[in-house]
Amino acid sequence: MFGYYLELAFRNLKRNPGLTALMIGAIALGIAVCVMTLTMYRAMSGNPIWWKNDVLYAVTMDFWDPQEPYWDDYPDLPPEQLTYRDATAVYASAIPKRKVIMHKAVGIVSVDGQQAKPERTPTRVTTKDFFAMFDVPFQYGGTWTDAADSGPEPVIVLSRKLNEKLFGGANSVGRRIRWNDNEFRVIGVRDHWMPLPTFYDVNNGPLEDPEDAYIPFGWSVALELESAGNMNGWKPEDIKNYQQLLNSENTWIQMWVELPDEATRDRFQGFIDNYSQEQKQAGRYQRPLNNRLTRPDQWLEDNQVVGNDDRVLVGLAFAFLAVCLLNTVGLLLAKFLNHAPITGVRRALGASRKQIFLQHLVEVGVISSIGAMLGLALGGLLLLGIRALYTFDPTESAGTQAIAQVDVTSVITALALAFFATIAAGLYPAWRIGRIPPASYLKAQ
Amino acid sequence: MTAWNIRPIASALWRNRTGALLVAVQIAIGLAVLVNAIYVVKQRVELIGRPTGMDTANMIWVASAGFAKDYDYEATWREDIAVLRGMPGVKAASLFSNIPLSGGGSSTGYQARPGEVSPKETIPGNKYDVDEAAIAALGVKLVAGRPFEASEILPPSETFEDAPQAIVTKTFAKKLFPGDENFLGKTFYNGLSEPTVIVGVMEHMQGAWVGWDDLENVVLFPRQKNGPTSIYLVRTEPGQRDAIMRDIEAKLGGSNPDRLLRWVRPFDYFIDQSYLRDRNMAIFLVSVTTALLAITALGIFGLATFNVSTRIRQIGTRRAVGARRMDIVRHFLVENWMVTTAGIVAGCGAALGIGYWISVEYELPRLDLYFLVGGVLAIWLIGLAAALQPARRASTISPAVASRTV
Repeated sequence: MFGYYLELAFRNLKRNPGLTALMIGAIALGIAVCVMTLTMYRAMSGNPIWWKNDVLYAVTMDFWDPQEPYWDDYPDLPPEQLTYRDATAVYASAIPKRKVIMHKAVGIVSVDGQQAKPERTPTRVTTKDFFAMFDVPFQYGGTWTDAADSGPEPVIVLSRKLNEKLFGGANSVGRRIRWNDNEFRVIGVRDHWMPLPTFYDVNNGPLEDPEDAYIPFGWSVALELESAGNMNGWKPEDIKNYQQLLNSENTWIQMWVELPDEATRDRFQGFIDNYSQEQKQAGRYQRPLNNRLTRPDQWLEDNQVVGNDDRVLVGLAFAFLAVCLLNTVGLLLAKFLNHAPITGVRRALGASRKQIFLQHLVEVGVISSIGAMLGLALGGLLLLGIRALYTFDPTESAGTQAIAQVDVTSVITALALAFFATIAAGLYPAWRIGRIPPASYLKAQ
Repeated sequence: MTAWNIRPIASALWRNRTGALLVAVQIAIGLAVLVNAIYVVKQRVELIGRPTGMDTANMIWVASAGFAKDYDYEATWREDIAVLRGMPGVKAASLFSNIPLSGGGSSTGYQARPGEVSPKETIPGNKYDVDEAAIAALGVKLVAGRPFEASEILPPSETFEDAPQAIVTKTFAKKLFPGDENFLGKTFYNGLSEPTVIVGVMEHMQGAWVGWDDLENVVLFPRQKNGPTSIYLVRTEPGQRDAIMRDIEAKLGGSNPDRLLRWVRPFDYFIDQSYLRDRNMAIFLVSVTTALLAITALGIFGLATFNVSTRIRQIGTRRAVGARRMDIVRHFLVENWMVTTAGIVAGCGAALGIGYWISVEYELPRLDLYFLVGGVLAIWLIGLAAALQPARRASTISPAVASRTV
């Protein structure tokens, strides 16, 4: 029976090619726009480390101006970064399973004896757990030790991309390179890794690539490096040298910890609260006690990685899909009612209401399947267009490449949308046509 | 005879209400989206089009990073500036600490009197360390005072230090000294109560962050940028920017092995990047709204066509008993107008509701009612245009159809 319905459906589609094309086009357009905005939205709003969401925590502490909160609009949130003195003090705790303090810097990387132009390289100055904590994959080699952090030892991890530029992608572990004219030894090459967004440092734009080089945190002081991100302070301080900067109330260090269970979490919360109480007695931390351990999903929300624009666009896409579906319902209704005399004959010859209903539903199913297929293809094309719109500088755009990709989730989204579109658009016309008393259509108009 | 025959048209419509209802809902959504999309787009276009106060079309930014251990920062930038100033077609070249409108920069709180003041009296200022050529290189207009003199330019500071003189924007000065008109010679203070005297007032200049409420609070200090990265601003004669950019690449690119000429970029690069999201949002809204209205128009067209094709006999009969072609056209246009208007009434409610949500989400003023009026007129026109062809086709149906059996 199904085969026969399918045959009927195709025959009917061919009978009004213009109407059929309109319906398929409307469904395809609606699905394409939805797939496009949802793919973008997911890329922007997704939690790139969801599998560790219940063990990773960003550490923030409120040592800000007693007169004024850090955020005018969100007075409950502490500053998103720590001061150097607080970060290093809290880092000394042995409670977390893994812990990382870090900041971004910019270095010029060159290789002795190579003709290639020196590379300006965004670099993460970090303690060693960075890689294990955020599940950063390695292509060659690995990370450094605690001793290398405090030493600091001249070791460096390169990104796969930078390794390809400098060494043609060969295993470069053990090779020497110069970072701001200081000799470093390559200890590892991290593999392709593109967390979207780069949540671990809110100084990064949401679509920014992760850094291309990583050096031990101790180099920050040894080379007197300053953050390449924002540095914020609340207290007027006369800072004359690097040591005074380290002791100042300026925030520029990011801190994350991995706490495997609730008990550890509570212990660590107690530890940082205790630390800030001690500091309070010493004259700092004059605001109400507010030290936070924030999980990645909450962190992304607090830092508003997803902009208002993205939410408005998703709303718009669904309004668009709704219009497309309403349109299709109207067209289907018109089409089915046009064929009502034929349906009347079939009813008179003994087809039950259920059979008429099923036959028309199959017809709707065929239309929306073709629509979904086209919609998916069209969505892919639209995403290519989006990529062009957002790719500002083709040399720095891996992030945009990644948002603008049709992947398995997009395909599943499109199929689910098509399924619901069938139900939504097809049920009423198919039901309505089945209810028409056959006699009225056997009569002349 | 009532000329418009509203009642019979309404009752005919009511008998086939499903299709009409579907189209009315589409129109309601279409109106709500159209009105709000135009509102958001207009606001973005205005944002991007705000005057910068600078001669942006003829400005080039150059960044050079020294990395070698024995890199001589001062000698390098002095030589670079001399080369840049000597190039034909260059109006001015200046050493700058940061790039306005680029999203990167530094700001601190300033106050009109020394000592502890309340947060309300602290005015944020986006500050730049610049040299004596800065005013000429920016192309900003001074409404009072003078540019910096070469003798005033202080050596670089690693310490966020300010300087004893400053050139500020009028906006910033007005916020510091409310009620005053003449700001020359006035003294303001930073958080450490170090004094600075205003020696020049700029009519207008935008600072670093396009989304910042205090975008026009700009303070220029006479100080050399600290090393080892130098940033130069070059202003060219009109129309020569691109050629001079190539010259700069050639002249500075290989001049010194201890540094990397990071980039030579037109000012527009940074401005476009800062407004990228706004521009894309506008493009996106315009294209989706257009597609949505096109589909709605197709829906109206489809409904009218369907109504005509199911009523061929009635139309023939009406023609046979004396209805003119005009009457038939009018019948379908009025019928369609009723559907459109029903949709518009519902759409006005939806438009205002969505407008309210958007104004909360973006912290914008409430939707302007002119947009709603414009949107309603536009939808009426679209509805009329979409129904015109089916209505005219209906009027060509021959009265003879009435007496024919199918």
